[in-house]
Amino acid sequence: MGRKYANPPIIEAVCEFRLASGTRWDLTVPGLLYEKLKGLFPQKEQRVIQEVELTQGPDGLQQQFRTSERIMFFTNDRKMLVQVGPRLLVINVLKPYPHWEGFKPCTELAWKSLQETIEVQGLERIGLRYINRIELPAQNAELSEYFEFYPFVGSRLPQHMMMSFLAAVEFSYANDRDRCRLQLTPVSRSVMEGKTAFMLDLDYFLARPLGVAVPDVLNWIEEAHSRVEEIFEGCITDNLRNVFQEVL
Amino acid sequence: MVTNVAYLLGRQLTASVIASLRTRAEDVKSKYPNISSLPWDFPDSYWLSPGEIAFQVQRKGSESVVIDIENLMEWLNRMVRFENPHSIREYLLRFTELLDVIPQAVDAAKKYFPKAQLVMNVYQDPEIADCYLVLFIRLKHYDDSVIERLEKAEAEYLNQLVNKKGWIQLTTDFREPEGEYAL
Repeated sequence: MGRKYANPPIIEAVCEFRLASGTRWDLTVPGLLYEKLKGLFPQKEQRVIQEVELTQGPDGLQQQFRTSERIMFFTNDRKMLVQVGPRLLVINVLKPYPHWEGFKPCTELAWKSLQETIEVQGLERIGLRYINRIELPAQNAELSEYFEFYPFVGSRLPQHMMMSFLAAVEFSYANDRDRCRLQLTPVSRSVMEGKTAFMLDLDYFLARPLGVAVPDVLNWIEEAHSRVEEIFEGCITDNLRNVFQEVL
Repeated sequence: MVTNVAYLLGRQLTASVIASLRTRAEDVKSKYPNISSLPWDFPDSYWLSPGEIAFQVQRKGSESVVIDIENLMEWLNRMVRFENPHSIREYLLRFTELLDVIPQAVDAAKKYFPKAQLVMNVYQDPEIADCYLVLFIRLKHYDDSVIERLEKAEAEYLNQLVNKKGWIQLTTDFREPEGEYAL
């Protein structure tokens, strides 16, 4: 059981299921799924998605355009939504984060509803992602006071001239079946009303397609959540825990 | 609306820029936003290796509403002054449908007012519970053509607002540019 905070920095949590290409999918699936989910997600919208595929070839980058459709089901307060696209199911929750006890049942509901609608042949990717926006209480704080994950700047480099950075790593889990991508970036002050803020993005995902059997998916998500919690706690210091106000 | 997804498959880099046009499910439109105008700063990353590009692209999010908003805010920040970024962000969270319209509104404003300062704010009606995004153009000198140009600029994106719950209004408060980004 992880720590709980009264003022958690999570601004969005995302649970994503990308089904294997062998899974049969047709245009009726979103409507059938909506019938099962409309009690909790009654507001329906549709997006037309344009994708650009960039391929690194001998002549440089080449691009290809394609489009697809995505249906979105929102809760009445629009704090939670389900996205359905071709062989894609995504559950998003926005702030205030309802804690895992609130988010987990929604992911289970969506996943089970999908399984009742179609026969899932396998999963290309599963992802559990937590996006945090962390506002520091001090203007010119040292990163090390608040984070245990940040870029190292050697003593021969300018110490107070770093305008921006991207700190990113990938951790390997379960014999490289899973990975967790961890990223820390500052948010521009001009879009934060002068406050010092950072985006801490944790994306735990199935890196090996079909690496998890369909019946084990919910266990995988539970495990992923535990890993994400561990990594999050590993990224922050007690100073930040005080900002988030741990609930004991 | 922009979401970017990237996959690195062996030597092949596949990056997806997902732009979306949101409508109600029963009102699917056939016209897509111009993908070249979307707030994606990929060219800035050309000096990186493909793997690094993939990493850069991935940080822009995958199926995340918040990342889409942050990307848009960062893109806008290059040419628009925010009066109240927190309120703008909250408005976009409420009306995510606007994410794909805003770049078109800004492009239209820049097209017809290339020397204007653009200022974005959320207008809250003091008497009724109504609020919407406002994109002000501010000029050093206002002439007779301003209103006509505003109408032409607005006409370039207005049809994209049909059936959307949010709204962005292009207008002017006839003030001079000020602060950061003042020309």
